[in-house]
Amino acid sequence: MNINQKIASVLLTSRLRQLMVAVLSVTFGISMYVFMNSFMAGVNNQQTEITFTSMAHIKIYNDLSDEVKPIMPVPADTHTVIMVNNARNIRYTEGIKNADGIKEQLSTHDEITGITAQLNQNVFLRNGVSKISAMLSGVETISEDQVFKTSEYLVEGDLQDLDKRSDGIILGISLAKGIGVHTGDNVAVITSDGISKSFKVVGLLETGASAADKTKAIVSIQTARQLFSKNKSYATEILVNIKDYALAQKIAGQLSSLTRYKVEPWQEGNSQLDSANVLRDIIAIAVSLTILIVAGFGIYNIMNMTVNEKIKEIAILKAMGFNGKDVIEIFLTQSVVIGLMGGLTGLVLGRIIVSIVDNIPFKIATLTTLPVEYRTSDYLMAFCFGIIITFLAGYLPARKASKIDPVDILRG
Amino acid sequence: MTALSVHQINKYFHEPVNFHVLKDISFEVTKGEFVAIIGKSGSGKSTLLYLLSTMDTDYGGSIAINGTQVTGLKQNQLAKFRNEHIGFVFQFHFLLPEFSVLDNVMLPALKLKKKGKEEIEHEALELLSMLGLNGQEHKRASRISGGQQQRVAIARALINGPAIIMGDEPTGNLDSKNTKIVFDIFRRLAKERGQTIIAVTHDDEFAANCDRIIELSDGVLI
Repeated sequence: MNINQKIASVLLTSRLRQLMVAVLSVTFGISMYVFMNSFMAGVNNQQTEITFTSMAHIKIYNDLSDEVKPIMPVPADTHTVIMVNNARNIRYTEGIKNADGIKEQLSTHDEITGITAQLNQNVFLRNGVSKISAMLSGVETISEDQVFKTSEYLVEGDLQDLDKRSDGIILGISLAKGIGVHTGDNVAVITSDGISKSFKVVGLLETGASAADKTKAIVSIQTARQLFSKNKSYATEILVNIKDYALAQKIAGQLSSLTRYKVEPWQEGNSQLDSANVLRDIIAIAVSLTILIVAGFGIYNIMNMTVNEKIKEIAILKAMGFNGKDVIEIFLTQSVVIGLMGGLTGLVLGRIIVSIVDNIPFKIATLTTLPVEYRTSDYLMAFCFGIIITFLAGYLPARKASKIDPVDILRG
Repeated sequence: MTALSVHQINKYFHEPVNFHVLKDISFEVTKGEFVAIIGKSGSGKSTLLYLLSTMDTDYGGSIAINGTQVTGLKQNQLAKFRNEHIGFVFQFHFLLPEFSVLDNVMLPALKLKKKGKEEIEHEALELLSMLGLNGQEHKRASRISGGQQQRVAIARALINGPAIIMGDEPTGNLDSKNTKIVFDIFRRLAKERGQTIIAVTHDDEFAANCDRIIELSDGVLI
């Protein structure tokens, strides 16, 4: 410890109460930073998870082509006018005929964690006199579960039952209530082509997303193909999950070269989810930075007071041969020590708050406790910001102290 | 040998009005001399001392201490120079109240870093005992009497073996008994250790016993 640090430590410890207040203000700021960011990250993750119970990261389907070729070539000479009335972009094929082939091709990509094919059609469900429209999903039970974790959201029944009996159907919980059926009851499915088939309800689904719970009906994909009289490898969409959902756009770009079908990352058409995540992050950072800045003002205030109180001592130090740099070092050391102490205790306190929040009961939708996320980067950032702010808050009074003219002070 | 040489010093105050404080001041002080600067209030004696101390650099003319021209040096160089060559004793002791007596004395030497900590401590203890402060070394500076505090301040001024000791009313705040003690210390330092002492004082008796008196009146040497 050199002489400047020694002076700093004596000045710091001579006012323990002030030291405590300064340290606590940093502690509070940093723990709030950690808490806010952990909580927001938890909320974002939860949102994303709920979103991805009904939506895959990347969806491949048969879309109408954007490029519409002109019906007749534009003539070269300018004396001819072509008029085509009522031109239409007609869909010649429907769905994906060779879903298995595409799935095999995609499975070579190493960013992909799950692939499943679905056959989705709007149908009517009828139970006696009550009739309700529903979205019928024919699913591949095993890969469906990998991608959407559907079995976690089944409140009754088992997803594999759909493979065991071809007339099994799983209904969204609100949908089942809507037409008044329970597990074990029969329900009729009527397609748009007018075909009707009777199914037995083998399970109920509750995802927490009310739109899905109100409309979703799940059967096995073979059953669906049969119902709509499609070929063996037919699907309306292929759904792909990848390791990091944030990279969906990039990977969708890579995949689109493998197939002529439309490859759509989740952000497309769901930008409100993306923007909500970003906005929540901005709010978290704004609030926690504000708290840290307020803590910085606290330190600034305390250091300023110390400088004013110690102005004679500073003058005498300068008279004895301490220069401006020494004085800055003396006062900056104090605020950095405050920052380090407050920073470390803040991280610990923040971690404690986060684990308390993690255990607060919150029983809405599929949640049981408030969502939080444990990320090392939050803690590192909080610490860095804390140190930077205490450094700035300490530097201004230190510079003021270094500019004190000893003659003014010592002459009285 | 010349310890201090002052040549054609002029000093102006600009606030609140322009005022010519020191007018063409020139003198020299030889090594080991005990000099008192006297004069009425406002005669410019303190101002002169602060110029000599190198803390105030806003003047015309030139000052050389121990053969070094200090006029024109930068602030940081001056701080270093003061640390090594000048000791200060003020009317108020200006000790750091949170530090022990010993730490206060050691401070300038620890800053100078010419000697190891053990050696500095040894010298500081020697100085304190020379000034009759045995047994007070580890007390906090705020816990000893005013006379003792002033002696601690003198010990602090001496720790780096400065060429010149400057006093601004060093006895101005002391009773007659302590004034005598401090005066005797200065006397002894000048005689035995050959240290130059320049003190601004109001005390006529103090001044009368010095080797030499420099009197100022309205900014002019008499």
